[in-house]
Amino acid sequence: MALQLEEIRKRFGAVQALDGVTLTVEPGQVFGFLGANGAGKTTTMRVVLGFLRADSGAVTWAGRPAETWPRRTWGYLPEERGLYPRMAVLEQLVFYASLYGVPRATARRDALAWLARFRISEYADRKAESLSKGNQQKVQFIATILHDPDVLLMDEPFSGLDPVNVAMLKAAFLEMRDRGKTLVFSTHQLDMAEELCESVAIIDRGRIVAVGPTRDVKRSTGHQVIRVATAADDDAQWLMALPHITVTRPGEDYTEIRVDANMDPQVILREALAQGREVLRFEVADPSLEDVFVQRVGALDVEERTLAAAPPVRP
Amino acid sequence: MSNLANVVTIARREFTVRLRTRTFLIGTIALVIGVAAIAFVPVIVRYADQSSSQRVAVWTEPGALTSDPAATISVLLNAATGASASITGSKPGFVVTPVPDLAAAREAAGRGEVSAVLGIRRAADGALTFTLYTSDPSTSRVSQLLAQVSTTVAIGDRLDRLGIAPAERATLFAPAAYAVEWLDPARAGPVRGSVEEGTSYLLGFGMTILIFMMIVLYGNWVAMSVVEEKSSRVMEVILNAATPFQLLTGKVLGVGGVALVQYAAILAAGIAAMTAQGPVASLILGEQAGNVSLPAGLTIGVLGILVVYGILGFLLYAVLYAAAGSLVSRQEDVSAAVMPMALVSTAGYLIAIYAATGLFDIRSGWVTVLSQVPFVSPFLMLSRVTAGEAAPLEVVLSIVILVVSIFVCLRIAARIYAAGVLLYGQRPSIRAVWRLIREPG
Repeated sequence: MALQLEEIRKRFGAVQALDGVTLTVEPGQVFGFLGANGAGKTTTMRVVLGFLRADSGAVTWAGRPAETWPRRTWGYLPEERGLYPRMAVLEQLVFYASLYGVPRATARRDALAWLARFRISEYADRKAESLSKGNQQKVQFIATILHDPDVLLMDEPFSGLDPVNVAMLKAAFLEMRDRGKTLVFSTHQLDMAEELCESVAIIDRGRIVAVGPTRDVKRSTGHQVIRVATAADDDAQWLMALPHITVTRPGEDYTEIRVDANMDPQVILREALAQGREVLRFEVADPSLEDVFVQRVGALDVEERTLAAAPPVRP
Repeated sequence: MSNLANVVTIARREFTVRLRTRTFLIGTIALVIGVAAIAFVPVIVRYADQSSSQRVAVWTEPGALTSDPAATISVLLNAATGASASITGSKPGFVVTPVPDLAAAREAAGRGEVSAVLGIRRAADGALTFTLYTSDPSTSRVSQLLAQVSTTVAIGDRLDRLGIAPAERATLFAPAAYAVEWLDPARAGPVRGSVEEGTSYLLGFGMTILIFMMIVLYGNWVAMSVVEEKSSRVMEVILNAATPFQLLTGKVLGVGGVALVQYAAILAAGIAAMTAQGPVASLILGEQAGNVSLPAGLTIGVLGILVVYGILGFLLYAVLYAAAGSLVSRQEDVSAAVMPMALVSTAGYLIAIYAATGLFDIRSGWVTVLSQVPFVSPFLMLSRVTAGEAAPLEVVLSIVILVVSIFVCLRIAARIYAAGVLLYGQRPSIRAVWRLIREPG
């Protein structure tokens, strides 16, 4: 009873989009699928849903090939959000659900209940195009779950949402998990994955570079992270002077350093006390998913998230 | 979920949403008004014609003739122009009145009350002489007609003077036996009255236009609707629930249903307007108008064939329009994508029109062969049927070929569609499309 992908390969012309993707999503889990743009997240989801036929490999859910399960098993939230712009919200929700065989009356009742829970009941009879982007996303999420699917595949569900809507969607995620649903979502907001996911996979250029329970993936780097703050302002300086450590985040509030997993963190605390410093904060933690991501995927992600070098200024 | 249920759900959404749009409503109303207006054209033309009767005054020299010639001249004049009341029911082209005073009549003509005055006198040798008083050129139509009529009146007068009885006169002037037969000895049946023989010409012409409009107009709707789903990205949402095949079929059937509603409205308006013509004509023109009816040749059988070819032709083209629509991502690119279908349907339409109007010989071998070729058969076979040139077996064969082609095209279109709906950005090349058809997924 798990969603299993085995050695999925898919080529588009000259591009090997998926190059042997293998992973297992345990049922009832929230599973994070992490990767940069173009890494293969959407293609993987489309293969699982049967929109695309893999060149090789197999997808199974609960031991049976994915395509043998009825369509109502699957819920899909595509990355590019889409609703019929000139159709009323409630009417199109009922339409989507009835495509999965949900009786119209049931679909109507459930849709109204969900609209109420997302606090957008008053938009039920409005055309979708008249709704704000955030509200359209809520409608889209309802469309994904209205037929009560067992497996939810969501492509970047949090992108473009304001913090209020993010919180609302997170709550809905956890509720779905508590109902026993299996949730897979892709994101490049790593803090979100860290907060919600029991397991994660990191995909880079069509290959899975890390997969497993979130804690294991975080520990797979062979590092640990220590956050230190003392009363003085020169934390970064004295920490940098110590052997075998790397300062990863020199900050005003605290300084983050990375040490090998087999090093005893207490050495650093003792050193601080030996120097007569007043220790305000000393925290030993696993590396964040972001650390793992940077380490495994590295430069690619950095390039995507930082400004390119400024062009030289000519006199 | 069964195949059919989803097809029905998708078709129903397409149908109801489209039926409610303002463009559909306004378009249908405009078409209904247009069709009704066209159907009333004969009445309007006759109404306009009413005032155009020519008035001719006839003055006879006292004692020149025993009977008044005005009635005879009126009959002859109107028969010559073919505008006799007994044929069209309209007012006669000429109104002939006898006048006692030539000078007064010439004055009246000068004031425009009558358009011409004909004076009849008897010369010293006993022959009748005719003089036309007019300000029109001597070669005017009225003058030429009156010259003919005068000759006929003069001949009658000469026969009178020769003492030939009126009964014998009828045999004297009886038309000779004259027949027209086909050049081809093998061909039976009467020769058509003209190349543009009433029923086949108008019916074939009108029905071909109806089918062409149905294919191009509603085919475009299908393509636009596919692109709308792509550009609004709703496609991926429904693709999880329904297969591309179901989406394609449902969409084509939904738009087809809307097309039928619109066509039914237009046809109903046309038929209602044509049957209402009689009462309306008698109301406006103040005459007995029992002579307006549906075009001859518009039988239930021909209507049935129009419906069958209309539906089959639409289905054949619509699945391809849907496939073409799936290959582009923006509304602006639709017209380029549907170009091949537009070209083929226009070619079929033009050949059918030319064949119906006699520019091409509708009996020639290549027209017969083309009338079995799927993409042009709806147009050509309809032309041949209305011209009475198609054998029932030929019609059945072309329908069978059409139905088979629809299923073949549906399979091909579903493959293109399945791949096309996930493609965004650049339009794929013809080679890429060919690859999609041959190796799916």
